This record gives sequence, structure tokens and C-alpha cells, in this order.
Amino acid sequence: MNHDLSNSKSQTSTHLTVPIWIIALMLTLIFLGGVYFDHHSGWFDAKVYGPYQSAGQLAAYQPLSGEAAIVAHGKQVYEINCGTCHGPDGMGMPGKAPPLAGSEWVNAKGFHRLVEIPQLGLNGTITVKGQPMNFPTGMAAVGSAMSDADLAAILTYIRASWGNNADAVTADDVKAVRASVGGHHAIDGDVELKTIPE
Amino acid sequence: MKSSFPIFLAVFVALGASFGGFVVGGISQLGTEKQTTVLNSTDTYPLQRTGDATLGLQVYRAQGCAACHTTQVRQDGMTCDVVLMGAGKNLRAVQKVLGEIAPADKDLATNQLPKTIFSGVTKEVAGDNSDKLTGAGAKAEIHINATGADISRGWGIRQSVAEDFLWDYPVQLGSLRAGPDLANVGARYTMNLQLQHLYAPQSVDKNSAMPPFKYLFVVRKKINGELSPDALSLPKGIVPDDSEVIPTDDAKNLAAYLVSLRADVPLYDAPFTPTVSAPAEKK
Ligand code: HEC
Repeated sequence: MNHDLSNSKSQTSTHLTVPIWIIALMLTLIFLGGVYFDHHSGWFDAKVYGPYQSAGQLAAYQPLSGEAAIVAHGKQVYEINCGTCHGPDGMGMPGKAPPLAGSEWVNAKGFHRLVEIPQLGLNGTITVKGQPMNFPTGMAAVGSAMSDADLAAILTYIRASWGNNADAVTADDVKAVRASVGGHHAIDGDVELKTIPE
Repeated sequence: MKSSFPIFLAVFVALGASFGGFVVGGISQLGTEKQTTVLNSTDTYPLQRTGDATLGLQVYRAQGCAACHTTQVRQDGMTCDVVLMGAGKNLRAVQKVLGEIAPADKDLATNQLPKTIFSGVTKEVAGDNSDKLTGAGAKAEIHINATGADISRGWGIRQSVAEDFLWDYPVQLGSLRAGPDLANVGARYTMNLQLQHLYAPQSVDKNSAMPPFKYLFVVRKKINGELSPDALSLPKGIVPDDSEVIPTDDAKNLAAYLVSLRADVPLYDAPFTPTVSAPAEKK
């Protein structure tokens, strides 16, 4: 074998081909390396050290307690249920939904109106940060099917984020408001919203 | 030389790739590390070391401590405990859930709280069971513990992370453990014990293999038979009764550095639940 190799080399090097099994082995090794990398690198995240294997796993192991845990949960549920219209940054989207950041409805002292908006839905002209706005689609009753705890977590999150600063809303608060509204129709803009006590 | 360009290219690629991997990669990953806050708290971590401790790092380096000691605790895994903090309004309902998930605790009374219901389980198991308990109106907490050989030796509570070394230049990680890991030694020894240990290691741990660093101290006759304010308070028999041991500035700085080695707070990248927080939350 060695002999053959040196022989052929002395004649011409262009006849030397890499055996197919070496190429296959290389590709397998590269593939396995990629799999290992995917499992263990944490994508070079500076915060992820072994034994944690990804930023997501590290986040799941944060010992949150009290309001911090509720806000973290609220952020998750918000981004799935409300963020599509109001934006992950709470700034709203033109033609889709008004901002929640800095909104007087979100920062209100009481929580009654704020629970009723996602519970019943909202149509018509709405004034946010002093500006009357109109959205052809309005907002459906997106919160009506959520658990008390989830809706409370969302409201607590939006009241504590993006510069907003209002008290937390508890699951009991949500439950109480829900029991009082029953099967009401969607709220009709500013005008009707203002008739609901804060 | 007709192949000089390929050779240059090969050298350039080889050096460039290692420079990229080791220097640029390292800096882009950890070069922007900055102070963070302790988990569930607003305290900043790590605080700048005191002046004498900063000087002490250079003594640590000069004496070659890192040749026999590491300052990096490793962690192999993490486990969770489920702790029942309160039973809420409906003790019966909680007991019923306990009967299903932890029969041993099914007759739990409120005066036994807080009580650990599960320990050493995975996050998923802990999450499921604590959800069941909260579903019955109880208040349950998941406590996270770091595990590993270094941690069971008592060398630390969690693994070392980049922030721990934020103020150190050069970082004294060490790679050989002839002696114990020192990442958290400030939590184990007081200032005076550090000094005594440097002067006479075997007087603190009689099996210690550490050489004494006597030349960092001055031994002299007591003045009027009394200890000076700076003198070490040593057990009898280490120096003659009429003598005293005074640490030099180097010894004091080194001890200050050792006392400042503390990696015992939870951080985002090294989370755990400090055991002291449980009683504080109870009230
Ligand atoms: C389908 C898009 C959409 C989704 C999803 C949505 N909203 Fe809205 N939201 C709107 C629109 C549109 C308005 C303005 C309604 C009107 O025309 O009066 C609005 C108004 C509001 C307001 C009052 C105005 C303001 O900016 O303060 C609040 C509060 C609010 N939404 C909260 C929520 C919450 C909480 C969720 C998630 C549970 C949510 N929204 C999900 C579209 C949406």
C-alpha cells in the first residue's frame, strides 16, 4: 500500500484520489460536531455556562418569586396574545392598535376598565395619550377565554413595563370584575369606557 | 520562489483563524461583561475590591498561589426542591393534592410550614407538582440548588462565572489543585484566621500540605510583655511566649484579598435559591 502510493506519486500526483470513505468519515465527523455544538454551545451566549445548555434552559431555572415571577409569566402570555397588535414593546402599531406604553387607560389607578377591555372587547373612537384614534377592526374580546391568573399576569406586566408604573392586578381582581360584567357586548369607545368606574 | 504566495496565504489563514478564535471570539463573547445585580435583589455585583485587596491580588500572584490553588468552582448539574410555603384558604384541598403527589405529607398541618415536599427533582417535575399545589390554592416555591463535586466539598454554593473576576487583573484562575479551591474562601476564614493560616498553615489544618509563608511576617519580642495591636492572636506554642508575630503590608493585603474572595450570591448566569431567603419571606 505504502509502496504503491509512493510509486504513483513519483509518476504523477494527479492520479491520487482521496478514498470515498475518508470523505464520508469527514462529513460524519463534521455532522456529529455540529450536533454536539448545537447541544452544548449555548450559541456562545456569554451568560450560558455548562451544565446549562441554552439561554432558554437558563431562563427556566431562574428562581423567581412573588411579583417578578408574575411579570415574567405575563410577558410570555402578553407576547402571544396581545403583542401581535400592540407590539412587543407596547408601542402599538399604526392602523392595528393603539400604544399601551404611557397609556392613561393602562396606568389608571383602578383596574376595572383595564380588565373589561380584553374581557369584552373595544370599538369606536378611543383617546390614548390625548389623541383620539380610530381603528376599523377594533379589538375583539381576546381575554375572555383566558384564566384569571393569565389575564392578571398580562395586566400586571403591561402596568409595570415600558415606563408604565401602576399597581399589580391580582387573579382575584380579575375574577371579581368578570363576575360583574356577565355577557356584556363590546365596549363602545371612550364614551362608554368613561361610564365604567375606574 | 513560485509557491511563496500560497505559503503566505496558508500562514495567514492559520494565524488569522487562531487569532479570530481565541482573541476576537473571546472578546466578543465576554469582553463586554459588566456589573450585574444579584438575583431577586437590587444589589450590584461584583463590587470593586477594596484598595488593600486589590494590592493583595498582586501579592497572590507574586507568591505563586495560583500554582497550587484554583479560584473556579465547577458545577455538574442543578436540582430543584418544592417547598410548600403556605396552605392558602383550603387546607383540605391542599392535603388532597398532597395525598396524590406526596402521600407521606398528606396529613400536613399548617404549623409545619414551610415544608420541603420534594427535593432533588428536575425542574419539570418540580414545576408540575408546584402547579398542582398552587392550583389547590397553596403557596409553593421552587428552590434551585447547584450540584457538583466542588460544591459538595464545600468550596462554593454555585459555579464561578465571568462576573466574579470582573475587577481582577490578571485573573488568577489557576489550573492545579494541590490545595482547595479558593473562589469562596472569604466565606470560610476570617481575616485573623487567614493570617494565622499564612504564617503557620498546620496550626489551622494539621494535615495541610501548604508551605508556611513566614517571610511575610516579622517575629519580634513583645514590648513590655504585651501584644501590639497589629500582632496575630495565635494559639500557644507557635512562637515563644515572649514573642509576637506582626504581618507585613504584603501579608495584610494578601489576607484582605483572600477575605474578598466570595462567590456566594445568586446571579442570572449562576442561579440558585439562597437558603437564608426562606425564613425572611415567611414573615
Ligand atoms: C387584534 C388586535 C389586538 C389584540 C390581539 C389586542 N388588542 Fe388591545 N386594542 C386593539 C385595538 C384596535 C384597540 C383600540 C380599540 C378601539 O378602536 O377603540 C385596542 C385597545 C386596547 C386598550 C385601550 C387603549 C390603550 O392603548 O390603552 C387596552 C388597554 C388594550 N387594548 C389591551 C390589550 C390587551 C391586554 C391585550 C391582550 C390580552 C390586547 N389589547 C390584545 C387591538 C388589539
